[in-house]
Parts: sequence; structure tokens; C-alpha cells
Amino acid sequence: MRAQALKRGFVLHRRDYRNSSLLLEVFSAEHGRLACLAKGAKAAPKGRGALASLLQPFQPLWLHWVGRGEVKTLTRAEAAAPAIALSGERLYCGFYLNELLMRLLARDDPQEPLFVFYQQALADLATEPMDAVLRRFELRLLEELGYALDLRRDRHGAPIDPSRYYGYRPDVGLEPLLDPRWESVPEPVPVVASSLAPAALVSGATLQRLAAGSALSPRESRAARGLMRAALAPHLGPKPLRSRELFRRRPG
Amino acid sequence: MPGIGPKSAQRMAFHLLERDRDAGRQLARVMDAAMERIGRCERCRTLTEHTRCQICANARRNVSLLCIVEQPSDIVAIEQAADYDGLYFVLGGRLSPLDGIGPEELGLDRLEARFNEPELDEAILAISPTVEGLATAHYISELARCSSLRLSRIAHGVPLGGELEFVDGGTLAHAFAGRQGL
Repeated sequence: MRAQALKRGFVLHRRDYRNSSLLLEVFSAEHGRLACLAKGAKAAPKGRGALASLLQPFQPLWLHWVGRGEVKTLTRAEAAAPAIALSGERLYCGFYLNELLMRLLARDDPQEPLFVFYQQALADLATEPMDAVLRRFELRLLEELGYALDLRRDRHGAPIDPSRYYGYRPDVGLEPLLDPRWESVPEPVPVVASSLAPAALVSGATLQRLAAGSALSPRESRAARGLMRAALAPHLGPKPLRSRELFRRRPG
Repeated sequence: MPGIGPKSAQRMAFHLLERDRDAGRQLARVMDAAMERIGRCERCRTLTEHTRCQICANARRNVSLLCIVEQPSDIVAIEQAADYDGLYFVLGGRLSPLDGIGPEELGLDRLEARFNEPELDEAILAISPTVEGLATAHYISELARCSSLRLSRIAHGVPLGGELEFVDGGTLAHAFAGRQGL
């Protein structure tokens, strides 16, 4: 028998299938996102726990699967490390990362650097401020998908001026706002776009801090969130992200 | 149908057709009546023929306790196994944004309304300890925060009669974190 080469992966999502099987959506380092059937995973062999308890989101795994079709068959799964302990709102953030990957990654498209960023983002989520981790991952995700957002220059190629405000639209880019009225606008006011494209308003100082990965004030992080939301919107399409709903009750 | 493969289904169909057509007709009538008449309880969202289920309508149940479960079948399991005399609330699933199940689908606004009822003292979460289950539990704990309610969850740990050697790491870690004094 050929030695089974185990591959690193995470479960992004799972669904019950038949009586005791699970249909997994796996994000693997070498093969990108793929669908995998874990047969009998919910049935516990005598005296042991079911595999289903291992095949959960945020659990680093070693996996082996066979099959050439759209849906592979899982043959082995082992824990690669303890599950990343996300609790409360950090868990919602984890769902958000998974939902982004489910929506934006095509199946069977290898994304090795992105896998590393994802793993790092989950590990950071357990300890660091949530907003910073999410913004960093969103920027990386856009970059890896080929839609990098240039935070250092405006659409005319001029460097970002920290004392100015910029309007952002995905189809246009960062447009310096000439109107002096904008200078006095408090930051997180979204520009209501007349077109369908969502837009955001953000100060040059915030853009610079976001690009450098520095800590943002609550006001700045709200503006950064708006910016990333606008940048992701054309790729996500009109269907809203459901994991965002969980945050609605969040005060402030 | 869950639990029945094509072979068993065929056997059942032949049995009814060849040997027991009366039972087949009766089964059809009962199924028809069940599909027509069984709806959701207005209080706890479990399946019932009435507007209020038997448990919610029972005056002898302890109204200060509320157990929150995922499925109506969980109520049956708890009623059979545990010595619990409080009331229930059925979510109908777990928060799972990737499946499109949000707070609205689980009737969490109705649960929040029940949290504000004065006779309620304690709510017990009996939700599977999966990642989605933990997110659901957290969401419910946020809902309960503004009321003076005591919120608890059922214990997670080593199954009775199981051996430690075969228990997975996550469960064992939980069992240690939730250890009890003797």
C-alpha cells in the first residue's frame, strides 16, 4: 500500500449527509477549497469518539482523501494542533473569515500563501483585537485573489496625503476629495453613492495607518471597515454576508 | 427517509401491498392527519397538534426553569432520561451563517421575550457543543445579559462508561476545565 501523504487543511463548513456522514468544505494548503465526503463520521466506533468532533471549523487538521470527481472521499483525518480556541464574538469573526473564503475562492484552486494567512488570522483572532485581524486578512485576501487594494496611492498615482479625505469606490479607486467641505466632515460618514457601487469615505491618515498595519482608533477602524466592505462588495455580489448579522447587537 | 435504505423501503412497501393493505390505508390516513394538524407550539416552538403543547400547558411544570434545545427530538430525549420538570424552548437549529441560519430563523426574538417574563429564574442551554452550538450559546447569553436571569449550560465531558484513553483531546480539555469538587 502506498504511504498516505497527509495534507494540511481546515474545515470551512460542514453539512449532514445521509444518516451518519458529513459533507465537508475543506480549505487545504496544497489544493485550495474542495468538497469532501466524510463517510460515517458521525457514528462513533465502539469506545471511541466520533470523527465528527474533530472535523470542525478552526481545528488544524491533517487530511487524506481520494477521488477525482467534484466531491472527494475523506480517508483519514488527524488533529494537527489543538483547535484554535475562539469564543464569543471571536467565533463570529471566524465564521466571517470562513464565509469570505466560501464565497470568494473557487474550488480546486490552490492558494497556498492565503492558507498561511488564514491560519495566522485564526491564531491572531484568539488573542489580538478582532478588527485589526479582520482588516489584515481582508487586504491579503484581495491581494491573493488579484484585486489588491493600493492604500499608498490615489487613483491618479499621487501618494496618499494624511491631511486629506479620500472617497473610495471599487470601480474608481481612491479619489482625493477636493471640496474643502469634506475636510471638516467627521470620519465615518459613508458617501452615499448614486450608482450601485458602494462607497466609503476615509482619511489619508487612516489609509496610511491601515497600510502600515498600525493600531487604529475606534473611529478609524469604523472607517477602515467601511472601506474594506466597499472593496469586497463587487466580488461578493448582491447576496449579503450572513455572518455580519451576528454583530448587529454589538454596542457602538 | 433517514434511517431507511432502499432495500428496507422496498421490503416495507411489499409487506403492505401483499399482506396488510388495511394497515397501509390506516398509515396513510394517520400520516395525512399528522401532516395537516401538527404545527408549532406558540410558546416553545415544538411540534404539537394544539396551539400550546402538552408541556407548556401543564400547570404542574416548573415555570421558573427553561431549557433551550435545538430540536423537538431533544425534548423527548431529555424527558426520558433526565429528572427535569421545567419548560422548553426549541430553536430548530444552531446559528450557522454559512447555512443562512441567523438569529431570526431560530426565533431568538421570541426567546428574548421569554427571558423578560418575571416568573423565569434560570435558563439551561442544552445545545450540542459544536462550533455553531458555542456561537449560539454566546448569542443567547448576550440576549440574557440585560435580564436578571441565571444562565447555565449542561456539562460537557467524558461519556459515562467511556475510557479516558479514547476520549478526544478537546473533550478531555473541557472535562478538565469543568471539573467538580467531590
